[in-house]
Amino acid sequence: MTSTARFEQVVLPHLDAAYNLARWLARNDHDAEDIVQEAFMRAVRYFDAMKGAEARPWLLAIVRNTGYSWLEKNRPSDLVSLDDVAPLSTESEGPGNPSGAEGNPEVILLQSANRKLVNQALEELPVSYREVIVMREIEDLTYKEIASIAGIPIGTVMSRLARGRELLKRAIENRMKKAS
Amino acid sequence: MAKNDPSAEPLIARDATYYRAPDALRSRIRASIAAQARREARPMMWRWGGMAAAFAAVGVLSWNVALMQASGFQEERLAHDVTTAHVRSLMMDTHLNDVASSDQHTVKPWFTGKLDFAPRVVDFAASGFTLIGGRLDYLNGRPVAALTYRHRLHVINVFQWPTPDAGDAAAQSSVQQGYSLVRWKKGGIEYWAISDVAGADLLALADLISRS
Repeated sequence: MTSTARFEQVVLPHLDAAYNLARWLARNDHDAEDIVQEAFMRAVRYFDAMKGAEARPWLLAIVRNTGYSWLEKNRPSDLVSLDDVAPLSTESEGPGNPSGAEGNPEVILLQSANRKLVNQALEELPVSYREVIVMREIEDLTYKEIASIAGIPIGTVMSRLARGRELLKRAIENRMKKAS
Repeated sequence: MAKNDPSAEPLIARDATYYRAPDALRSRIRASIAAQARREARPMMWRWGGMAAAFAAVGVLSWNVALMQASGFQEERLAHDVTTAHVRSLMMDTHLNDVASSDQHTVKPWFTGKLDFAPRVVDFAASGFTLIGGRLDYLNGRPVAALTYRHRLHVINVFQWPTPDAGDAAAQSSVQQGYSLVRWKKGGIEYWAISDVAGADLLALADLISRS
């Protein structure tokens, strides 16, 4: 069918992006595969409704929805609301406070942290922070794309990113301290 | 410095893993896309076919409902089993034909010794229905002959097995999960043909087989 051929041409190339997001949501291979497979079935069904939308964010929105439904059903404890997260006792918080990324020795230190340590720390972040960081830093999506995928305002994307990064930085530092 | 300037962002998780989809998942998804496309091929045709096709569809469906009510539970289950056998034969390339040949003199002898009856095997390539092969299948609680025909780009399965009913029965068509089905009885053999072709094309093949 021509529609299938078009789907394979337009949507299938984003399978890696779909898997990466699902893998970071589910935190293991097996569940990530289930989520991606289910998401693709939905995507095929709703392909007509995609119209002129960009394929990658369109597909990722479906993956995210599928992943959240899956978590709700199988691991509701993963979906802690943001209010349950302990507040940070830090003055440098909020959006638009990148604190001079390049020259900051802290950041340079973090960047040299090994991959395993970063992975573990990121996995332990609450899912709403984890997903925006994954979409921004690993998947390289724009704020606007993240906002449409997660169904939240751009301002919320930015504040979650800032706070998520802060949480992640601390988690990495703690792990590094423990390791040394 | 602009707030949105990405170069100003501290990239904390830049070194985290980018998980790539495993090859097995990729092939599974390709396979299920293909299967889904086949399942939906017919409704899609309706969608694009415009009003006339929509009316025709409603007609076929309501007739199908009437047919379902009139016929027994057994017939309904058989129609379901025939559809399942058809879909399964398409899902696996190797399951479509045990003997792949457009030569009826190759296909017919292949069944000898495998079935307790001689199936009717005729090629109708001249009429647009090319015999592409045959295989054994299991329906209605017994082994049956499954012949496969190609009509344009569509694959048709024709199942046949002996029936205890003495009388012939004229071709009746129905729709199951979007597939056209035609069943009839002739000379002590019960036939079921199924495909995603239009019902009229399937009736044409039924007529060819009946008159052969």
